[in-house]
Amino acid sequence: MADIQTYSQDAGWKNVVLRGLLYLVLILFAIYYLFPLIVMISTSLKSLDEIREGSLISLPRVITFDAWNYAWNEACVGVECTGIKIYFWNSVKMAVPAVLISTFLGAINGYALTKFRFKGANIVFALLLFGCFIPFQVVLLPMSQVLGKLGLASSTPGLVLVHVVYGLCFTTLFFRNYYVSIPDELVKAATIDGAGFFTIFWRIILPISTPIIVVSVIWQFTQIWNDFLFGASFASGANAPMTVALNNIVNTTTGVKQYNVDMAAALLTGLPTLLVYVLAGKYFVRGLTAGSVKG
Amino acid sequence: MASLTLDKVRKAFGPVEVLKEINLSIDDGEFLVLVGPSGCGKSTLLNLIAGLETSTDGEIRIGDRVINDVHPKDRNIAMVFQSYALYPNMTVRKNITFGLEIRGVSNAERDKAVADVAKLLQIEPLLDRKPAQLSGGQRQRVAMGRALVRDPDIFLFDEPLSNLDAKLRVDMRTEIKKLHQRLGSTIVYVTHDQIEAMTLASRIAVMKGGILQQFDTPQNIYERPNNMFVAGFIGSPSMNFMDATLRDENGTLSVHIDREGSPISLPLFEAPESYRAYAGKKVVFGIRPEALTHKRSSSDSADSQYVNFDSKVEVIEPTGADTMTVIEIAGKEIVARVRPDRAPTPGESMTFSADMSQISLFDPDSELRI
Repeated sequence: MADIQTYSQDAGWKNVVLRGLLYLVLILFAIYYLFPLIVMISTSLKSLDEIREGSLISLPRVITFDAWNYAWNEACVGVECTGIKIYFWNSVKMAVPAVLISTFLGAINGYALTKFRFKGANIVFALLLFGCFIPFQVVLLPMSQVLGKLGLASSTPGLVLVHVVYGLCFTTLFFRNYYVSIPDELVKAATIDGAGFFTIFWRIILPISTPIIVVSVIWQFTQIWNDFLFGASFASGANAPMTVALNNIVNTTTGVKQYNVDMAAALLTGLPTLLVYVLAGKYFVRGLTAGSVKG
Repeated sequence: MASLTLDKVRKAFGPVEVLKEINLSIDDGEFLVLVGPSGCGKSTLLNLIAGLETSTDGEIRIGDRVINDVHPKDRNIAMVFQSYALYPNMTVRKNITFGLEIRGVSNAERDKAVADVAKLLQIEPLLDRKPAQLSGGQRQRVAMGRALVRDPDIFLFDEPLSNLDAKLRVDMRTEIKKLHQRLGSTIVYVTHDQIEAMTLASRIAVMKGGILQQFDTPQNIYERPNNMFVAGFIGSPSMNFMDATLRDENGTLSVHIDREGSPISLPLFEAPESYRAYAGKKVVFGIRPEALTHKRSSSDSADSQYVNFDSKVEVIEPTGADTMTVIEIAGKEIVARVRPDRAPTPGESMTFSADMSQISLFDPDSELRI
């Protein structure tokens, strides 16, 4: 009896120690990842004077939203001092249509590739898959030529087109893999019921696609909102998206470096994607694993 | 409702021929069952009739109308799928009326049609549920409701019972049979279950390897199978096959089975003329377990011709109603069906009776019935 007790006590201590170590490591990692964010937030809430006097990690003595206000309304992007807000709306005008169009086209593609299999469907899919691995830089020159010929150079619609084309491969992959798990008999039954290609798509396939639509929207929104290269290359000046404007604010070398404004602008830029994850994050995980469970 | 004719129908996927010259014809109101092992082409044949796949060659007619190039929705058929294929986003009511809605049937008519079908299938309380909230048997009913509501010329069933548990399967089988008797509709039904085929069909088409093996009434298929495949596939436990020689002994043909020690000779008293040609040649002797029983005499049953022989018993498998008795003859395991009170113990020797009026002989090379 006694032996057993000491043994179990030993094991208990061991467990506590191991658990403690585990938490220690996890907390360290959490601090490691959260620290930059905390510094950014606290810096953005300080006045410029306080930044100069205090240390980087000290918390603000007086919380002020002046920097946020300034970044939003007055910060100078290049020579235009109109704040980051017009670029925020540029990004919205770019991201929302691009996300919706690429998701919709991906859904149609995935549907056609799985449920209306045509000759060479596998080759088409393989080529689309290949598109996922093409680096941004490779398409810059040909894309700018195409945009020039279409008369869409340096415009938001042009940027939308670029993102739709580039995102199509990913969205098609998502939807194709999701639709593979939906039984073909569903489409056959609807065909016999008299429904055509688009009726089946709208009435039967799309209503059961919610999980994968969420995945596609989150993925595409993050990609498009955070994109810098396409934005910097294809939409300059007043049409630039927020990421490009942020870069221009932060990298301005004239005058006093306004760290608090830089931080506020960066946080404003990151906020929409953060929001999307908070609101739809659980659907994202659910959707990513949905394909593995038979519907 | 209408008749269905398949005339020299062929189907090939590239170089692979999955259906070879299928000729079938059923009348209005018949219940045709396509049966065979997996990969025999029975589901492909059903898809051809449905129009979900196109035939490579041949003609398919519903009534007098050639439907080869008619779109599935215009063939006036309805289909019940193995997975039921209910639309998961729609209620039962919507599922049933979807086809009517697409065809532009008015709201009032749709409501009436749903009410009728729901009453027929006893699914009225389920009408506002989603398919995910239904049990397997209920989904099965809804799937049938979706087919029934359209009042089609031909119903197509693609293994509709194979996803149900054993008890429910038997119940639904009876229900389908009742439904057929009540509605008198033309049905084509695909299954791999020979019992389903026997119980449901007015005619059975046995298929293997894309070839139609036999097309006949259930009783004829059971009693006079065309070849050894059909003989072995239909019936459970399957027919026993033994290598034998047909001998002519003073004008009476007899089946001679070479067995070490004591060969068995089973005289055929009313041999058909076709047997004569095989006198003195090797044949395959086929006998169903129920024709091989404990010792009986011909007076037990007027039409039977019992011949007795002895054999040692290897294994017995009681099923309650009968005891399946496994004996070994010339290296082959043979199953006899014995009344439980006459069942032997394994290892002992017993006299068996073979009913020679219920046997089949096959050519050992072509495997065809003699």
